[in-house]
Amino acid sequence: MTALERVASARRALGAAVGVRAALWASAAAVVFLAGFGIVDWTVGAPRAARILALPFAIALALAAACYALWRGRRVRSLAAVALWLEERVPRLRYALVTALDAPHASPLLERDIAAVKWTPVIRRALGHALLPPLLVLAVAAALLFALPAGIRARISAPHAGDTLLRAAGAPAALRNRLTPLVAEVVPPAYTGGRRVTVDEPSSIDALAGSHLVLRGQGSASGIAAALNNATVAPTLLRDSADQWRLDIVVPALPAALELRDRSYARTVIVAPHPDSIPVVTLTAPAHDSVMRTPKGAFTLTATATDDYGLDASWFEYIVSSGEGETFTFKSGVVRRVSAGNARTASLTAALNLESLQLKPGDLMHVRAVARDRNNVTGPGVGVSETRTIRIPRASEYDSIAIEGAPPPGVDSSQISQRMLIMLAEKLQARRAKLARADVVKESQRIGSDEARLRQKIGTIVFARLGGAQQGEDAGSNDASGHRTPEQLLAAANAATQASAGTTDFEGDETPVVAVNRPLLEAYNAMWDASRSLEVGEPGAALPPMRAALEAIQRARNAERLYLRGKAPVVIVDVSKVRLAGKRDDAKSSTRLPRATLDSSSERRAERFDVAIDLLASNPAAAIDSLLALRVDALSSAPTLAGALAPAIDALRAGRDATDALVRARRIAAGGTLARMESAWGSAW
Amino acid sequence: MGKRLVTRTPTTFTFATAQYESGDWDSAPLVPPNIIDTIARYTEIAVTPAGVIVSLASPDLLRYPLVYLTGHLPVRFSDAERRQLREFLDRGGMLFVDDHNHDVDGVFHKTATEEITRTIGEPKMLPNTHPLYSAFFKFDEGPPTTSHELNGWGDNLVHKNLFAVMREARIAVLYSSKDYSSEWGYHPDSKRFQSVDNTKFAVNIVVYALTA
Repeated sequence: MTALERVASARRALGAAVGVRAALWASAAAVVFLAGFGIVDWTVGAPRAARILALPFAIALALAAACYALWRGRRVRSLAAVALWLEERVPRLRYALVTALDAPHASPLLERDIAAVKWTPVIRRALGHALLPPLLVLAVAAALLFALPAGIRARISAPHAGDTLLRAAGAPAALRNRLTPLVAEVVPPAYTGGRRVTVDEPSSIDALAGSHLVLRGQGSASGIAAALNNATVAPTLLRDSADQWRLDIVVPALPAALELRDRSYARTVIVAPHPDSIPVVTLTAPAHDSVMRTPKGAFTLTATATDDYGLDASWFEYIVSSGEGETFTFKSGVVRRVSAGNARTASLTAALNLESLQLKPGDLMHVRAVARDRNNVTGPGVGVSETRTIRIPRASEYDSIAIEGAPPPGVDSSQISQRMLIMLAEKLQARRAKLARADVVKESQRIGSDEARLRQKIGTIVFARLGGAQQGEDAGSNDASGHRTPEQLLAAANAATQASAGTTDFEGDETPVVAVNRPLLEAYNAMWDASRSLEVGEPGAALPPMRAALEAIQRARNAERLYLRGKAPVVIVDVSKVRLAGKRDDAKSSTRLPRATLDSSSERRAERFDVAIDLLASNPAAAIDSLLALRVDALSSAPTLAGALAPAIDALRAGRDATDALVRARRIAAGGTLARMESAWGSAW
Repeated sequence: MGKRLVTRTPTTFTFATAQYESGDWDSAPLVPPNIIDTIARYTEIAVTPAGVIVSLASPDLLRYPLVYLTGHLPVRFSDAERRQLREFLDRGGMLFVDDHNHDVDGVFHKTATEEITRTIGEPKMLPNTHPLYSAFFKFDEGPPTTSHELNGWGDNLVHKNLFAVMREARIAVLYSSKDYSSEWGYHPDSKRFQSVDNTKFAVNIVVYALTA
């Protein structure tokens, strides 16, 4: 074996020693820390937050120690450093080892001298010096750690709620207060699927009504008594479990104070239950009550249901009431009952066959959705939706009056258009000299076609009136005009207007119908003349008959215009009111009023609060108990005060500053925030 | 004896509706209270809470600075009416005439303009820059349009101007074909349902009549 190979072998041995020493120091550091922390927890007790951090901190400490040890032994990586380390501890080498490592070629003389030197004992001693100290420290620390009670080690290795009981009490058993420490465990009913919750040192326990509540403490159950709302708890519920006592009760439906007594020691725990809400059911279709004229086909029903813990089933219910007077019959049924499968939300859809219900006019059908939760402890809770009513109307209910706005009468609209056509014709006539003949004819014919359209409209009005009048008023005559065609009517109208030879007036023995229609007939004929002139491109010639038509239409409008009006109301304007300058006899400015007097129960609560605060200086425990008792009462009657008392009690129990919480609770006990006093003016708006 | 001081207290403005022998002078009974409401709402003019009806032939006509005349049917003044109206206008009164037909071919327009012409003179187009349109509110585009114009009723025309008979640079007769009688003919309590108060122009007419 050459010198180089021997140095390499030494380096491997020393390297391994460095690694082992780092591991030993790391373990020793962690165990020393845990042992020390365990002693502290054993003697004074460490909070759970600190215990949760203990193990990660020990691991970090171990890593740091390992890193430091490795850093200290970093030179073992170099052969030259190992050779120098050997030269330092084996003087016989006289730097031959370093020289041999530095020489480019191996010298037989040097190799021989080096081979003659044995350094194994040196390395063995070095290993012993390196490993023995951390090994001893680790052994001592481990011995200390394992000498601690098993509960202390469990509190450090796996801290959790309720491990307060794992820490052995310091006082002798005869003098020990078995009510401290106290651990509460709430096991919710199985149907909720909820997890059990453990609380250390509880002052108030919020739990679902019907939950299983277990209270545990150190020591035997012998001599411990419990009372729930001043009613003694059966002794059988208090029993020993290993080296602990435990009390098993069911969370009641109403808030209660659980008083525990151990000789002269007493402790009050508030049990604040919250109920399992019934399902909330919303019927989404039909959305409103309705009237159904023909009860046929399928009637769609949809609903949604929600529950705080889980639904069991949901369905629709209907009731049909039939009959009238004093005789009514009812029939009811269930539609589509489905299992909700413990879901918290469910949608329900069904179709109700109306024909199968044989609904008759006058029947009323009531529909609602129902859902049931899985509460098998205090329930089940059944929630129902709003009820919708579907009515089948009787035949006699169909009488109604429909009033719709009528369009403007045809005469008015045609008159408007005639005015526009006159304006167009006048413009065309004015531009006629500047336009080509073909353009004039084209534009004139376009106006003429509009004029013809208007004429037909007038004709429709006139003929409808003539026909209607004859049918309505002359039905008994021998005149066959009711069977005339429009052309025949036109001819008759033409003859009538020609025969009048001039402007028609309404005098004489004409019937009102003829009097009304005669101007329109005149307009109709004038529009014929105008159309003919417009068709041949003579707007100038068309204008006189167009104006005559407009004038005739205007006469017809005036003849028909009626001004019907009821008696107008006499309106007296309240000028002061309009100007917002009026005055009200009952108006007054805002005034500051004293706080409303507390009712008797609130007053009693405020007094009890004050008494408890007075006790706080002389007997804090009694003050806390008084506040606890006050909170029990307030849970049902004054939940806001109960909520404000909770942090105050917790702070007092933990020895923290409870001033802010107590001030807030005092303010609420004294009546809370002042309500704003509305003035008469404010209330008026 | 020293000179006796005569103090005049401000008189209260009373809205008067003209009653004439012919036609339907009372066709817009809700216009007076609506204008009174508007005057109270926007001005501090002391206003009588209810309007009065005054005969054109009555000497009481002289007690009112502004008289409102409207109707649908033909207007024919009697000699007494014509005489009293002429005196009213000569003494500084102002007559506001509105065609309730909104129809330049209607009988009211034709007969009323004839009577006005015969009584005091022919109404002439009033420029839209006249002080009437800035007497209180600003109407830069002249008289506000009415829904009856825009809806195409009556003569289907949107009248851009009012007409007036002037007396020494003041309006003696203000003539409107815009049918404000229909536009303003609703109960004043219903004004709160309108997004824009359409009676503001009435304030200008009243203020002009009281100040011009």
